[in-house]
Amino acid sequence: MGDKEQGHFVAFHHVGKIYSTGTTALADVHFGIGEGDFVSFLGPSGCGKSTALRMVAGLEEASSGSVLVGGKEPKRVIRESNDIAFVFQEANLLPWRTVLDNVILPLELRGGSMKEHRTEAKRVLEMVGLKDYMKAYPRQLSGGMKMRVSIARALAAKPKLLLMDEPFAALDEITRQTLQMELLDIWRREKMTVLFVTHNVFEAVLLSSRIAVMSARPGRLSTMIDVELPYPRTLAMRTDRSFGEYVDRASSYLEHGSLRKELG
Amino acid sequence: MSVSTAETIQAGTLEPEVKKRKADWRQTFVHYYLGPIIAFVVVTALWQLVPSWLGMKPFIFPKPTDVLEAAVQDWSILWEAVRITVVESVIGFLLSAIIGIGVSVLLASSLILERSIYPYAIILQTIPVVAVAPLVVIWFGAGYNSIVAIAFLIGFFPVISNTLMGLNSVDRSMDELFTLYHSSKWQKMWKLRLPAAMPYMMTGLKISCTLSIVGAIVGEYVAGIGGGKGGLGYAITIAAVQMKTPFLFACGIAAAILGITFYLVVSLISNRILGSWHESAMK
Repeated sequence: MGDKEQGHFVAFHHVGKIYSTGTTALADVHFGIGEGDFVSFLGPSGCGKSTALRMVAGLEEASSGSVLVGGKEPKRVIRESNDIAFVFQEANLLPWRTVLDNVILPLELRGGSMKEHRTEAKRVLEMVGLKDYMKAYPRQLSGGMKMRVSIARALAAKPKLLLMDEPFAALDEITRQTLQMELLDIWRREKMTVLFVTHNVFEAVLLSSRIAVMSARPGRLSTMIDVELPYPRTLAMRTDRSFGEYVDRASSYLEHGSLRKELG
Repeated sequence: MSVSTAETIQAGTLEPEVKKRKADWRQTFVHYYLGPIIAFVVVTALWQLVPSWLGMKPFIFPKPTDVLEAAVQDWSILWEAVRITVVESVIGFLLSAIIGIGVSVLLASSLILERSIYPYAIILQTIPVVAVAPLVVIWFGAGYNSIVAIAFLIGFFPVISNTLMGLNSVDRSMDELFTLYHSSKWQKMWKLRLPAAMPYMMTGLKISCTLSIVGAIVGEYVAGIGGGKGGLGYAITIAAVQMKTPFLFACGIAAAILGITFYLVVSLISNRILGSWHESAMK
């Protein structure tokens, strides 16, 4: 609660997480995220970055410390509003619903006029370029398209905070690049705060305004890196010298030795 | 279906495609249908010939022609018996479907309830229906009520166990998605768990529909009443007592055809319901 006066939209207050098996997933994670930031949680597998993200969504409880969103407990935020949206690693679409009906779901669960919901769902589907596939079923779509629907569904409820747990990890490189650019576009247009979990250093630097680099066993926050590359970002920036420097810096904080060697 | 459309697009011109489909059909026929058809013809021919060679009497082992003759001769009895058994088993099946799904939803909506009651459901399931049948007759009296009750009992447990498994099979992240949107317990049940359980439920219904015929026939053995009101089970008992073995065979075959038809009807309905999305229905 002390973090609210610092003006942090999402605040981790000395957060620890110990599983019932005795494993320490997170230890003393303490930092804040401003409204409108695009923050990546970067770290090797097992560093608790997904756990941290799930705590922000209220899907996981902290063993010690607290996580607050807009000064409130995440569970309360979820009860009172659709301000928090979550995009999973898999698209997680309901196979018996059409694309449109999948996108409507979050609105439908809150009640209200279905006609308005439909208009809103069409708007977000247009934003992700799937307006022509409204009546298709998930099984008819490619992996990239499914992920677009999943993102559209998250956006439909006009969230203030978009949480993404390695959403592009299962996609091929070309699709991933397209979706990365589109995500940045949407983030800038909708003025949301995005928390993005990834283990890909390039992805983290390309997308984020800040990177929370984490180390494993137990999961700790190694450092926060402010990425001061200008927006709109382009794929061409990846060859810039400053881009490389950020990649280098982020990598040097990663525990993973082999990754360090690869980068020279 | 989607595969063949993709092929059409790739093949470009239509004519080779038509030829290919004809060839495909012939291949399917040779691979899948020719064998069973030949087997059927051979077995029927042997069945016809062997009893004649060995000089077996029709009341010991009737030939196919004897069975056919008996069926034609006593057609009115056979038809009536089939009709009655169909009605009994359909009612029994519908009851087990409705009550089975209802009870499953109830059990699945409360973990405590499920944990305390489900083990007994499994134990009850292992009691052979033949052992329970006389008890049912004591409670419901001879006739339709008992027969329907037995058909219901035998079909009820497969529906429950399959539906429950389906209701609990929901992917964790799907469940979390609903939690994130603050859905109520019943919203989760109606919009997530029940639809997700549909394929499992349909499997349960397919098992229970054929079992309900078994139940009805068993019921007729123990609770059947005569006077033109007996189903297949009753007709079989009478035929056995009177040594009308060819007619007994006819009744048995009729019961088998009934079971297959019932299964096909339920499968068809299940494919209709699952058709739009579930993979098991797309093969």
